[in-house]
Amino acid sequence: MILAVLFANSEGNILVERFNGVPAEERLHWRSFLVKLGAENLKGVKNEELLVASHKSVYIVYTVLGDVSVYVVGKDEYDELALAEVIFVITSAVKDVCGKLPTERLFLDKYGRICLTLDEIIWTGYLESTDKDRIRRLVRLKPPTEF
Amino acid sequence: MADSSGTTLMDLITADPAPVPAAASSSSSSSASSMTAAASPSATHPQHVSTKTTLGEKKSKRAALMQIQNDTISVAKAALNPVRTNIISHQKQKQKQKKPVSYAQLARSIHELAATSDQKSSQKQLVHHVFPKLAVYNSVDPSLAPSLLMLDQQCEDRMVLRYVYYYLARILADTGSQGLNPGGGIPTPNWDALADIDAVGGVTRADVVPRIVNQLTTEATNTDVEFHARRLQALKALTYSPSSNIEILSKLYEIVFGILDKVGDVPQKRKKGIFGAKGGDKESIIRSNLQYGALSALRRLPLDPGNPSFLHHAVQGISFPDPVAVRHSLEIISDLAIRDPYAVAMALGKLVAPGGALLDVLHLHDVLARVSLARLCHTISTARSLDERPDIKSQFNSVLYQLLLDPSERVCFEAILCILGKHDNTEKTEERAAGWYRLTREILKLPEAPSNSKDKSQKTRRPQPLIKLVMRRLESSFRSFSRPVLHAAARIVQEMGRSRAAAHALGLQDLDEGAYGNQYDAVDSLDSDMNDSSHPEGIRRTTGVSNAAGGKDTIAGMLASLMEVVRTTVACECVYVRAMVIKGLIWMQSPHESFDELKSIIASELSDPAWPATLLNDVLLTLHARFKATPDMAVTLLELARIFATKVPGKIDADVLQLLWKTCLVGAGPDGKHTALEAVTIVLDLPPPQPESMSGFTSVDRVSASDPKSALALQRLVQAAVWFLGENANYAASEYAWESATPPGTALMMLDADKMVAAASSRNPTLAGALTRLQRCAFSGSWEVRIIAAQALTTVAIRSGEPFRLQIYEFLHALAQGGVQSQLSEMHLSNGEDQGASGTGLGVLITPMIKVLDEMYTAQDDLSKEIRNHDNANKEWKDEELKKLYETHERLLDLVSLFCYVPRAKYLPLGPISAKLIDIYRTRHNISASTGLSDPAVSTGISDLVYESKPAAAESDTLDDDLVNVWAANLGDVPAVNRVNEFLAGAGTDAPDVDENIISRPSVSYDDMWAKTLLESTEMEEDDVRSSGSSSPESTGSVETSISSHFGGMNYPSLFSSRPTTYGGASQPSERSGGSRVNNPSMYEGYGSSIREEPPPYTSPERYDSFENPLAGHGSHSFQSQDDDRVSSGNPQFGTALYDFTAGGDDELSLTTGEEVEIEYEVDGWFYVKKKRPGRDGKMAGLVPVLYVSQSSGST
Repeated sequence: MILAVLFANSEGNILVERFNGVPAEERLHWRSFLVKLGAENLKGVKNEELLVASHKSVYIVYTVLGDVSVYVVGKDEYDELALAEVIFVITSAVKDVCGKLPTERLFLDKYGRICLTLDEIIWTGYLESTDKDRIRRLVRLKPPTEF
Repeated sequence: MADSSGTTLMDLITADPAPVPAAASSSSSSSASSMTAAASPSATHPQHVSTKTTLGEKKSKRAALMQIQNDTISVAKAALNPVRTNIISHQKQKQKQKKPVSYAQLARSIHELAATSDQKSSQKQLVHHVFPKLAVYNSVDPSLAPSLLMLDQQCEDRMVLRYVYYYLARILADTGSQGLNPGGGIPTPNWDALADIDAVGGVTRADVVPRIVNQLTTEATNTDVEFHARRLQALKALTYSPSSNIEILSKLYEIVFGILDKVGDVPQKRKKGIFGAKGGDKESIIRSNLQYGALSALRRLPLDPGNPSFLHHAVQGISFPDPVAVRHSLEIISDLAIRDPYAVAMALGKLVAPGGALLDVLHLHDVLARVSLARLCHTISTARSLDERPDIKSQFNSVLYQLLLDPSERVCFEAILCILGKHDNTEKTEERAAGWYRLTREILKLPEAPSNSKDKSQKTRRPQPLIKLVMRRLESSFRSFSRPVLHAAARIVQEMGRSRAAAHALGLQDLDEGAYGNQYDAVDSLDSDMNDSSHPEGIRRTTGVSNAAGGKDTIAGMLASLMEVVRTTVACECVYVRAMVIKGLIWMQSPHESFDELKSIIASELSDPAWPATLLNDVLLTLHARFKATPDMAVTLLELARIFATKVPGKIDADVLQLLWKTCLVGAGPDGKHTALEAVTIVLDLPPPQPESMSGFTSVDRVSASDPKSALALQRLVQAAVWFLGENANYAASEYAWESATPPGTALMMLDADKMVAAASSRNPTLAGALTRLQRCAFSGSWEVRIIAAQALTTVAIRSGEPFRLQIYEFLHALAQGGVQSQLSEMHLSNGEDQGASGTGLGVLITPMIKVLDEMYTAQDDLSKEIRNHDNANKEWKDEELKKLYETHERLLDLVSLFCYVPRAKYLPLGPISAKLIDIYRTRHNISASTGLSDPAVSTGISDLVYESKPAAAESDTLDDDLVNVWAANLGDVPAVNRVNEFLAGAGTDAPDVDENIISRPSVSYDDMWAKTLLESTEMEEDDVRSSGSSSPESTGSVETSISSHFGGMNYPSLFSSRPTTYGGASQPSERSGGSRVNNPSMYEGYGSSIREEPPPYTSPERYDSFENPLAGHGSHSFQSQDDDRVSSGNPQFGTALYDFTAGGDDELSLTTGEEVEIEYEVDGWFYVKKKRPGRDGKMAGLVPVLYVSQSSGST
């Protein structure tokens, strides 16, 4: 299960947040935990360099993409390596939507599109589409494979 | 819109009067203001001032409503504002309208634009402004649904429609959980409440959901070819509806099966490399798209294990050309296989054969698909139900081994984990041991394996021993720069260590240190056909050397070189990776090897201030798990734990450490107990944490308590250690008053203190040593330590026989009067306190303790006088005399019980000589000797009381400050025991789980002892007597509850009550756990109850079966009701599920709204409930949040 996907800006403000199967009362913990994790570790990290953390049997992989930081939290089959795959799909799709490394403004401008993209990548806690073109087609309400 | 909106947005954030959410509050104000500066030039929208004030008023007016788990708070605020301005500016142009803007405005725009959705401008407006902004709200209120549905029907624009599906899905997904209070935290604005009020009409979810579902269902069943993209999206949106809604669920099954019935059959075999390839004819592509959509939906539906068509359709999916569909199909099947491996294996049939679709997956460019394949293969290849089909098993096995060669680490590691026997967190020690066996055994087997069943690509490879492959892979992974890879590799090493430890625990250590020759024997039976081919290599290795050395060279050598690489990984920057490495090292540490290196690694790691407290505690818990796996290592692990205590006293949880001490002490066995106790008490020998004492000690022993906080924390640890010593010294020394080896009467003859001490230390050096330490602490510690030391001494005094009791008695006297400390303690370190007239200042505290001892001695004297009188006069004891004696006995027992736990049945405050007389009285009056008090759980309660009231009070307060990590808040208040168990279960350690031991080892074994003594170590020797004698049914019949009246004042539960549920009402915390054991002759449940606080393992019927205990059913019945102190006992409580609840863990239970449940008991805000019939996940009973269930009294 991919428990959470979270985008934050460089100040730690949360931009996008998607939880799956996380009780409401735990979300707050996750939110502040992740933001703190980012604040402590993401300084000077290269774009898309993956960082890792874990808590009990839950794994966290996070990275920086332009002005935004991306966090993915998962457990079970979504261990740190699977999350690395997930975050790779997410970052490349976001870059695709934004056309380049997103600044915060660019990210907000493309906000709706990013939400749809995310919706195609993670569907009720499971990774769905991984292919960039396929995601783009699905966001435009086109069939996953075109004739 | 881009630029202006961005800048205006920032401008408005600063001006926004609403409270900034806490998560962002620290940074947002500064960032916002800085951005304002940058943004101000272009901030030009005139409306925003009025807008903001209106919004502010609204917010304040509705502050009462502000309580939801809105997830996108900061961005909600951020993005709301541009929307507002944009909409307004657009509306000004278009509609010439000017309104205050809010979420409701956004909603209104949708309503209005939906009406004009045929216009291009409206569509553009929706796609570019309204919908994206709406996305910032995590939930969409149902009142939007009519407009969305209208758009869905009328609008043609793809983007608009895509958003419409997105929002419809969100409405469906909304489980109405707003009513639940998020556990503390920041008040977040309730956008939904705002929306409800502002939007027209009170549209509720209940109104719109059926309409949405209908609409989507219609679309999902539309077979129009041109429509099929929308069809997929409609299907997808439908899957978001909560799985508790049976109606929607059955509809979904129907749709999905309908689609798969049509397109599921693959007419021709999938061509190699066709996965996801473009091209192909339109028809087959549409078919593949539909297949994909249907399987994706199926994946989101609950598993339906008994349903053959479910399985059939899932299996069909493996042959689909769409790679994502194949992945989902494999995921479903691998889940199904866990439930019913046989059916799945049969359904897969030829697919696994060479050239079959399953083998194509090996080449599928989808990591998760291959991961699922590995799991599937593992499940089937180890399934018991397939024992008669070794052919099938070996086919799947060989696929699993091929996955070891997978280019992706994720897949390879998964395969390793599978081979090691780890698939989820519930595997048993035996499975793990078998995993290690497999990994090492394959050294012999693999050379022949490829030619056996592998496909062509395999044949070209040189045959490799499994372990070599794994080692090589791991070593190369450890050279990676990617942190996730390092972390994962370290985790694999940890799991390897676990399996290895499990193998050792089961006596399979021959596997790696042992001989090839020996292994042949073992292998012979399993794969006799493999043997011939593997002989050459085996012989080559074993000839010349003794066969034992042969094995060692290979595996041990490889392991050594791997561990070398692992150790270097400690240099990684990331603490999480390092933590994982250390855990791996702990697990790979062999009990027979020197652990100096590990010690120094840990010591140097702990000097790094970067370690968060939770991570350190995690490592500590790993020690715990390691101990459970290999009890031999108790002393070693204690040494390691000591490093934590000295290096980072401020960061570790004293409770967990203490629990570790205790379990290690118990596990150390009779021989190791002394050493274990020494290791624990070394904490006491640490120099006082004064800054100047920082230098001059060895690295490990140096106390790193330079700051006041850690100094305080260390003090707490010392307190904990003193307390621990007091509680457990008797156990460690195997010295109990009630089992004293000293013959009756001799005790009082040794009145000379010096002789006494000499006699004591010669008789029991362990206890004497502990006493010495305690005495020293009673003098030289800080006042907190002294208090606890005095208490500890009393405990030991009460529990020990002579001469120890007398020795302590003397000492306490001295302590109370003061003035002799210089004689007794050379470490007379002044702590600046004026010790005053009362000497140690402990007079007040000690007086009652001395009084009790005084009374005991006086009573003993009286008794011996009486006996002498009777003997001299040669007269019988009268009943009144006996009664008086018995009452004194009971009174003293009560008194003593106030100080510490003693087994009431055996404890004789009047000395051993009173035993006979008491017995006579008891027999005459039909009073059972055993009472509920002889229950170890009760004792834990009492010791908990002692502990809680004194040392812990100081601890918990200061602890919170130290644990900066957010998780501390979550974990800090959980009792250590829970934490440990949580860790052991949740984090999937392989340590012998309580439940499993119950099943596998019904006899009293080490584990049982461990389990029991975790509760109260002094009870250890007690057990056999009690379980066999006192609680046997015969005695039960005779006495019933008469004794309980004697203890009515103390509320002790009767051991023999026939209605266990009456314990529910017990008011003392000690009784709560006590009740659980009362009716159960075995000790398992008692252990389970107080440790886990929730009994799920015992409720499932198969556990009873395996229990093989005639009373088990009865016992577990009492067990289930024991903990409920809120739900009234006696008649069962029923309740109705108010909301859907999805189980978040193994012990939790999923609920469907409206479901009837029986409430067993409540614990920490959770109900343990039982369903009438198993739910979809097949579970009958489990924990659910209290808030999710409405209680109704009486039966239904």
